[in-house]
Amino acid sequence: MTSAPSAELALRSRLHLAVQREITRLFAPVSFALIWIALRLVLGYRFERLAAVRREYCEIRSRSDAPLLVCANHLTLIDSFLITWALGSPLWFCLHFSAVPWNVPDQLNFAAKRWQKVIIYVLKCIPIRRGGRRSEVAGVLTRLAHLLRRGDSALIFPEGGRSRSARVEIASAATGVGRVIRSVPFCRVLCVYLRGERQQTYSQIPVRGERFYVAISEIEPKTDHGGLRGSRDLVQQVVRHLCEMEEEYFDGRQ
Amino acid sequence: MQSTEVFEKVVKILTPYVKNQEALDNVGPETHILDDLKVNSARLVDVVLEFEDVFDIEIADDDVDNVETVQNAVVLIESKIG
Repeated sequence: MTSAPSAELALRSRLHLAVQREITRLFAPVSFALIWIALRLVLGYRFERLAAVRREYCEIRSRSDAPLLVCANHLTLIDSFLITWALGSPLWFCLHFSAVPWNVPDQLNFAAKRWQKVIIYVLKCIPIRRGGRRSEVAGVLTRLAHLLRRGDSALIFPEGGRSRSARVEIASAATGVGRVIRSVPFCRVLCVYLRGERQQTYSQIPVRGERFYVAISEIEPKTDHGGLRGSRDLVQQVVRHLCEMEEEYFDGRQ
Repeated sequence: MQSTEVFEKVVKILTPYVKNQEALDNVGPETHILDDLKVNSARLVDVVLEFEDVFDIEIADDDVDNVETVQNAVVLIESKIG
């Protein structure tokens, strides 16, 4: 009973997304290069097992045509950039553009000013007002579901915001993620656990020269419940899996 | 079930989540659940799941989007009870 009635996106919104997708694709070589320079050269970030993770993501995508929603833990404001970098090289993403996940950054942090709106537009983002009216949030989730159904990837943080305890918090699980999963038939979820070695608490930007651990794991959440209860069940399965991945991280560090 | 009975049960369910006691003391059909009663938007899910349990109904995600006031909740529940 996982599937839910899927709200069809209005033609106008579909056209907007199609235009944004093509503009984003056009700017991709430049934006990927700039992000790489900023993260790798300016901030000096590095990843453990980067090649293995990218290979794994490539395999997971090629294994099935079923939609793939990326769900990750959330500790810093630039997690979505770091996760995208971890999942594929700029060249590979240029050649497999649908594999670049759409992001849903917080409107307040990333789209408060006009220039910010322009930047996030070309970075394949749809801003969301965290804690905003349910109808507004639902509109963004409907767009995400539409993109997933047409074969794009999307990245969302099921805890809704950065974890204040610096650990994955099951109590923070946002039912919106479950709602997206329910409205996209056969939706797979790629759980991503990302953490910098020196990341003790939540922050804005990881420290310069940080080395990141990243692990990915695919699950296909299912529920026998309908309605809101079903959505909550699904998102809790995702967050529980992220909790397990976090335990593996800390066990491996002991 | 009478509307007043549904209303009273809705208010009883909301009570533990309310942060504005004054608004709760003066609660009426047009009282806004998030803005007036200051119920945390994340806890609204728990509230709605309690509606489901108490009234033995199932509420779709889309239905919840339209619940802003106490009266919205009462109307939604009544429509599900039939």
